[in-house]
Amino acid sequence: MTSAPLPPKPQEPFASPVLTGRRIVALWFPHWAAETCRAPYQANRPFALIDMHKNAQRLISLNAAAGEAGLYPSMTLPDARALVPDVQTAMADPQDAVARLQKCAYWLQRYTPWIGEDTMQHTADGLRDYGLLLDISGCAHLFGGERALLADIAARFATYLDGRGMTARMAIAGSIGAAWGLARFAATDLTIVPEGQDAEAVLPLPPAALRLTPPHIDLCQRLGLDTVAALARFPRADLTRRFGPEPVLRLEQALGQAGESLNPYLPPPQFLVRQNLAQGVTQIEALTALIDTLCVRLAAQLKAEGQGAQRLDVALTRSDNLVLALALPLAHPSADAAHMLRLFEERLSRLAGGLDAGFGIESVQLVAAKTTAITAPQDTIGLSGRLRKTAPIAALGGLYDRLVSRLGAQVVVRPVAHASYIPERAVRFVSVLQAQNRASDEAANPLVDAAARPLFMLCAPEAIEVIAEIPEGAPYRFRWRRVLHEVTTAYGPERIAPEWWGGLVGDNDVGTTRHNSRTRDYYRIEDTQGHRFWLYRDGLYDRETDNPRWFMHGVFP
Amino acid sequence: MQRALNKSRQTKSPKRQHQLKRLHRLVAKHEPIVQRGASITTSFAEIDAYFDAHVTGGVPCGGLHEVAAESAADMPAVLGFAHRLAARFMAQGADDDVLLYGQTHAACRDGGQPYAPALTAHGVSPHSLVYLDGVTVPDLLWAGEQALTCPSVACSLLTSSEAAPDFTHSRRLSLAARTAERPILLALGKTAASAATTRWRLAALPHNGWQVTLEKLRLSHDTPPPLDGWALYPSTPQNAETRHVMPLMRRAV
Repeated sequence: MTSAPLPPKPQEPFASPVLTGRRIVALWFPHWAAETCRAPYQANRPFALIDMHKNAQRLISLNAAAGEAGLYPSMTLPDARALVPDVQTAMADPQDAVARLQKCAYWLQRYTPWIGEDTMQHTADGLRDYGLLLDISGCAHLFGGERALLADIAARFATYLDGRGMTARMAIAGSIGAAWGLARFAATDLTIVPEGQDAEAVLPLPPAALRLTPPHIDLCQRLGLDTVAALARFPRADLTRRFGPEPVLRLEQALGQAGESLNPYLPPPQFLVRQNLAQGVTQIEALTALIDTLCVRLAAQLKAEGQGAQRLDVALTRSDNLVLALALPLAHPSADAAHMLRLFEERLSRLAGGLDAGFGIESVQLVAAKTTAITAPQDTIGLSGRLRKTAPIAALGGLYDRLVSRLGAQVVVRPVAHASYIPERAVRFVSVLQAQNRASDEAANPLVDAAARPLFMLCAPEAIEVIAEIPEGAPYRFRWRRVLHEVTTAYGPERIAPEWWGGLVGDNDVGTTRHNSRTRDYYRIEDTQGHRFWLYRDGLYDRETDNPRWFMHGVFP
Repeated sequence: MQRALNKSRQTKSPKRQHQLKRLHRLVAKHEPIVQRGASITTSFAEIDAYFDAHVTGGVPCGGLHEVAAESAADMPAVLGFAHRLAARFMAQGADDDVLLYGQTHAACRDGGQPYAPALTAHGVSPHSLVYLDGVTVPDLLWAGEQALTCPSVACSLLTSSEAAPDFTHSRRLSLAARTAERPILLALGKTAASAATTRWRLAALPHNGWQVTLEKLRLSHDTPPPLDGWALYPSTPQNAETRHVMPLMRRAV
């Protein structure tokens, strides 16, 4: 074997005409998931995200302090607790971490429009690697050179997330492969390779810097190839025979001898309309007229893309730079300007304390913050306007939107069945915006079991004073809301025992557990006036309690 | 002859007018009022028989219907009856139509929330229910008016136990309901002067019964027929089911 440092094969080592002048920034976030996690924790003390993997709770991502304390990823949680008893932990949410990375990528568009996601590598331990690639060809001079650009990024990362800061390692090189390897394996956090010197920078790095898969890295170690240079010394044909085609491709990409394209994040289409005013507006009528024109423009944008808005955000900027932000959720995606305007009118008229325009509103911005594709409804041919009926679903959606925008999402609700024998837990109300469509709802939750249940159930059972003939018998006379009722007829008891599995699975209703803890005997009661009630004795006499209390729970018509 | 008739028309003496009115009333008493537009039968034989005798068709769909309580404690009976009417109105519409059921804060606090599984027994599909859980009285009326603009809401039932809408609001709702030819049911704890098409007054009777009085029936400008009251015993699961019934022995105290 010769001791030549450079591979003998390539004819034109670093002068591919396509790649000239290309500059790539690789960013690597070694502690991304832990550092950007929304859970509150002390940044200067060990913190780890945990997840179930291979039948154990393992650390998925750590912050810098945890690394210094001797913890490492894929360690099991008990081991970590043994080492650092007060380690702060939170459950990992990989989808969320990826979403945050994408958000960070959009934010980095201030430096270059061409930003790609680093190819995610999932190792056998369930760990993920978070990085970004920025193509800054022709952009660096706008920020005062490449070093100034990296310093700017680093300074912004240091105060990221309200000053919590974020660890990032960066490298600039002429190829994606070189930048990737240098960001992870270079001696310094910030590496800039002068143009045309990629190969020299990459050769001293370990083979793992070539984006090889774990089996290949393993093989390199066993063969004693501890640097890229050692690998590059072999003829390519021999390498291909021994390793397969991939490591050779990666090697050539890192040395800048093979091309590689960067798949950029495509920015989502933005549905944003904005109107700046020469003079501040204070009248709500003028503002409404302005929002009307904005709605028309936004609706036109949405229609052109075949999208419907699911959430609208309007931001009114006052002349003293105060921003008044309103958000409107929509039940069904809509691209109807008149409908949007009606919702805003409702919303503006319902602002607490009225609209405080101050010295006038200077700019209005309307954004369709969430959109989905909608199919354009087919127009009915040959029917005049009066006969043409709006599609029922869309019409209902419009009604829900109006009700929700005026009354609030938690007020406009629909009943949804819940698997429980405790009467007040058998039904829950969910917002019409969240409720599934009715057909699937009906199929999934048959709300039809009404063996003599009251038409109206009190929001919470109310304690009543009861005189019963015998302790375990039906009431004889009771006082509810300060009115004395003489019982003429009592049907029952219907005994409803607490669910023994309650508190074990999916029991997150803290408020109802108090009433859930004892057996109830329900009676249907009619008093002398003919009013009918549903009441229960909470707890079995002598077995569960000595002094059972009575509760009024519902009324029959 | 013709001249005499013309003359008599021109004179319009009070006496003659009074006579005419009396005759109109007499005729109205024996002829059913002709009503246009859709109407429903109530499923209570006594009430339907009354409507058969005095009105063509039954309770009109387009209009504002008030169901009022004799006393505050009779609200459950009011709501039971209102649900029966709502169920009949719902039967007029399509299968996937919606019942908008709104309650004021006070009505929620006093009477509780509708219990979906029990709705079936009163003829309303629980899946058709859209419920407004506690709103103010103006919002309640606004919601009812909004519901009229949406063809998929077959009926709206609004409950206010503490205050009735004043005449202006009630007239506005009534006109809107007639124009839209869809019903609005108002379940009220108290009544005020109103422009409702019908007003029913309910009181609970012992043994699962209701005392129903038709207090008002105003169909366009026709003279109302003599109003009536009934003691009804609706078929409910409580009445039908006898297996588990154990009447309590009531002793003289």
